[in-house]
Amino acid sequence: MNDKQKNIRNFSIIAHIDHGKSTLADRILEYSNAVTKREMEEQLLDNMELEKERGITIKARAVRINYTHKDGQSYILNLIDTPGHVDFNYEVSRSLNACEGALLVVDSTQGIEAQTLANAYLAVDSNLEIVPVINKIDLPSADVERVRAEIEDVIGIVAEGCPAVSAKVGLNIDQVLDAIIEKIPAPSGDPDAPLKCLIFDSHYNSYLGVVVYVRVMDGTLKAGDKIRLMNTGAKYEVVEVGHLNAFGLEKSESISAGEVGYITASIKTVSETRVGDTVTHDENPTSEPLQGFKEALPMVFSGIYPADGARYNDLRDALEKLKLNDAALSFEPETSIALGFGFRCGFLGLLHMEIIQERLEREFNLDLITTAPSVIYKIVKTNDEVVYIDNPSNYPQADTIKTAYEPTVKASIITPTEFVGGIMDLCQDRRGIFKDMKYLDATRVELYYIMPLNEIVYDFFDALKSRSKGYASLDYELAGYEPSSLVKLDFLLNGEIVDALTFIVHSEKAYTRARKIAEKLKDNISRQLFEIPIQAAIGSKVIARETVKALRKDVLAKCYGGDITRKKKLLEKQKEGKKKMRRLGSVEVTPEAFMAVLKLDDSEK
Amino acid sequence: MIKTGLYIHIPFCRKKCNYCDFYSLPCATNENMKEYIDALCTQIEAEAKDYKNRIFDTVFIGGGTPTLLEADEFIRLTSAIKTNLNLTQGAEFTIESNPDTITKERLLAYKASGVNRLSIGLQSANENELLLLGRIHTLDKFKQGFLLARECGFDNINIDIMYGLPEQELEDFIKTLDTVSKLSPEHISAYCLKIEENTPFGKIKNSLRLPSDEDESLMYETLYSYLDKKGYLQYEISNFSKQGYRCQHNMKYWLSMEYVGIGASAHSFVDGKRYYYSSDINEYISSVKNGTMPKRIYEEGYSNNSHSLNQNSKIDEYIMLKLRLSDGIELNEFKNRFNIDFYDYAKEAREFLSTGHAVEQGGSYSLTPKGFFVSNYILLKLLKL
Repeated sequence: MNDKQKNIRNFSIIAHIDHGKSTLADRILEYSNAVTKREMEEQLLDNMELEKERGITIKARAVRINYTHKDGQSYILNLIDTPGHVDFNYEVSRSLNACEGALLVVDSTQGIEAQTLANAYLAVDSNLEIVPVINKIDLPSADVERVRAEIEDVIGIVAEGCPAVSAKVGLNIDQVLDAIIEKIPAPSGDPDAPLKCLIFDSHYNSYLGVVVYVRVMDGTLKAGDKIRLMNTGAKYEVVEVGHLNAFGLEKSESISAGEVGYITASIKTVSETRVGDTVTHDENPTSEPLQGFKEALPMVFSGIYPADGARYNDLRDALEKLKLNDAALSFEPETSIALGFGFRCGFLGLLHMEIIQERLEREFNLDLITTAPSVIYKIVKTNDEVVYIDNPSNYPQADTIKTAYEPTVKASIITPTEFVGGIMDLCQDRRGIFKDMKYLDATRVELYYIMPLNEIVYDFFDALKSRSKGYASLDYELAGYEPSSLVKLDFLLNGEIVDALTFIVHSEKAYTRARKIAEKLKDNISRQLFEIPIQAAIGSKVIARETVKALRKDVLAKCYGGDITRKKKLLEKQKEGKKKMRRLGSVEVTPEAFMAVLKLDDSEK
Repeated sequence: MIKTGLYIHIPFCRKKCNYCDFYSLPCATNENMKEYIDALCTQIEAEAKDYKNRIFDTVFIGGGTPTLLEADEFIRLTSAIKTNLNLTQGAEFTIESNPDTITKERLLAYKASGVNRLSIGLQSANENELLLLGRIHTLDKFKQGFLLARECGFDNINIDIMYGLPEQELEDFIKTLDTVSKLSPEHISAYCLKIEENTPFGKIKNSLRLPSDEDESLMYETLYSYLDKKGYLQYEISNFSKQGYRCQHNMKYWLSMEYVGIGASAHSFVDGKRYYYSSDINEYISSVKNGTMPKRIYEEGYSNNSHSLNQNSKIDEYIMLKLRLSDGIELNEFKNRFNIDFYDYAKEAREFLSTGHAVEQGGSYSLTPKGFFVSNYILLKLLKL
């Protein structure tokens, strides 16, 4: 370790959602004068509007803080923010690999939650020094000692003497900074060795191209160097290197082992700079890339269509723009008879999907129709051909399938004991296989289930929350494919199959689901002058049926002098509503109908 | 001379009904009414010069409850009309009334002033429904009023009734139809109750047990078939009359003919422009008193300087209004007027011929009673909007 490295600390903050990670980051920046209070924007690190609203961090950010410790020495603290959700586990693990330590924030009123554990395990896997920080001690229901004991018992790390703070009111933040400097090791690495940098994030900037965030593990990098990304093999000439301060990029001569910084090299899309990839010099490369590189693989798929078909190109442009900054998003054109031209999009998980949909609507002002999320089914056909199906309407005919497989996940649920019964019922109802149950303490339990992902992508999370009054938390990871008895369920409106409504369901649940969805559809189809039959069918066999009754009354009975313009306005308003409708043959359907298959209340199951 | 209608709004009622969203003030004093009549007379006098090229062949005094006016006030108003405006000989002259306010003295005064058509708001022949609607009269009071009007020589009487009322059953409505048709008025208007925001009903909308769309459409079917049997011809979605007794004034609205509105909240269609006065009687009175005259508020697309709607809006409005009438749209007239074939403009129009919602006969396209009750749906398909 050289002198420069001695005064560097690279750390992350990890926490369950809502335990106060971003607020703590803000206070650290404020306390260390990286930003003044006046400059302070609430939750500085989360700079997407959506993140602020949801209080979650979607993409990692890094910031360099100069801090003078009470020992009189100046330190450089690199705070690497991590995404706080299960969908972004891989990104979290790469961010953690860029650090030597992590602050594990735990809410003193809630204790350990599913993502606290998941994140703590990731940090342990990355050999990080974990510094627990107990937050929200200003709240009346705070129980610092219980949470301290829980951290020691459940995670198995020392929590004695760890900082107990209130990030919200700024209490004991100095203790956090002390702990960072005193507990977290300084980085090591040889500045003269061949270059080895870990990419932990990147984002697209319209002036600079892709800005790549790296942690230099070994070697030194400067502008003009020729670099190579070891996993993709892509080569670039470095335009600029530097550090990241609270307000943006700060150019510097070079960055070297132990430091966190950025690289620009006229790179066009973030998909070229995969998180976890290793940057090295093209001419004097390091012998081994860093371990643990993975491609971001989408797990959940959904069809996204513009509500107004004429905006197909706008949708494509918007997806391309989002893709610039989101290597995990995948999309390819697809056509639906019902919905016209759109895209089959792949996401890391449900939250990722919701975020993308919301950003498309909000930032690009698009009205979307989205189909129910699907997973990738693996089908071994009778001729032994293996196909993977991410779009239910492409599901092969029953008589051509030898075995169907569906993806499963290992789900960990932490809940107060009083809700265990209800949650176990829920998991069983969703075809979960019970694996294990552990008492975290006298009041809280961790449940392990193997569950079909297909059951989780519907409304499992909402159901879980409603059965536990919001207290249960969920974490899951892929657990491979299992053989399953699946059927393709089609819906027919006025006798015609609506491809966008087709979905895959376990054979035992086909009837109840078909019935419920048919009922939901009924509420989402506008009445016409004729009756509209709704049918749910497996193959040619109809298993549920509903009827939309014919329209009997739609009239403005009174229309005199003053009512003439009023009536016209009324019609215009009605027409405006109609424009949002999707026309399927002779039937008009609200855009929500396509999501109706999702919105089944827990109680209705 | 341009044939024109005249509408005068009298915004006073003894009590506001639970469903009504027209502009009217309960509990006005005689002093208020006098001031308002003064203002109406002054406005008529002041505007008269603009209407020298017009001949008024219908007059409609609506409200509110115009029959709240004392006989002498009413005579003052009608004198102002007759002195300042050209009325045709035998112009249709209607006054709206509430049975509770009908007295022999007033009826005779109306008659003497030239009123030749009386419109009586009955709404329902069931006492419980009258109570629910917030009407101030009983069925008996109505019958007395009706007979009194006949006695006083009114030979053109309309009765307003309603259906689709809270808790109403088909039998209840048939009772109203029965009661009304037995009196044999010349004209019947029958409206389906619409719950408007900002009315007492609007505020308790969710707790009202209204008949279903299906039940209401059954009431509508009953309405037109019942009245048909009694010799009433349906000539508009909600209007029925004996041969030769259509309301000429209301026809002007649906035939896009011009009318001058006078008074607070009155609407006008003059020289191709649609405008109205605000629903504020004090503002109305003071603007007339101080000579600035009430401000004309122009409807979108009919502004003071942009004279005309664009072609499609004109056609839309024409279709929208004409299809309210059982006469419908004369196809040749349509083509001459807009230089486009009706079926080329309204491409889906033929569809409704085959479903029985519309007919083409005698060179006209019109909605059937079945079509009337879903006419918004049909219009949305026919209009460009």
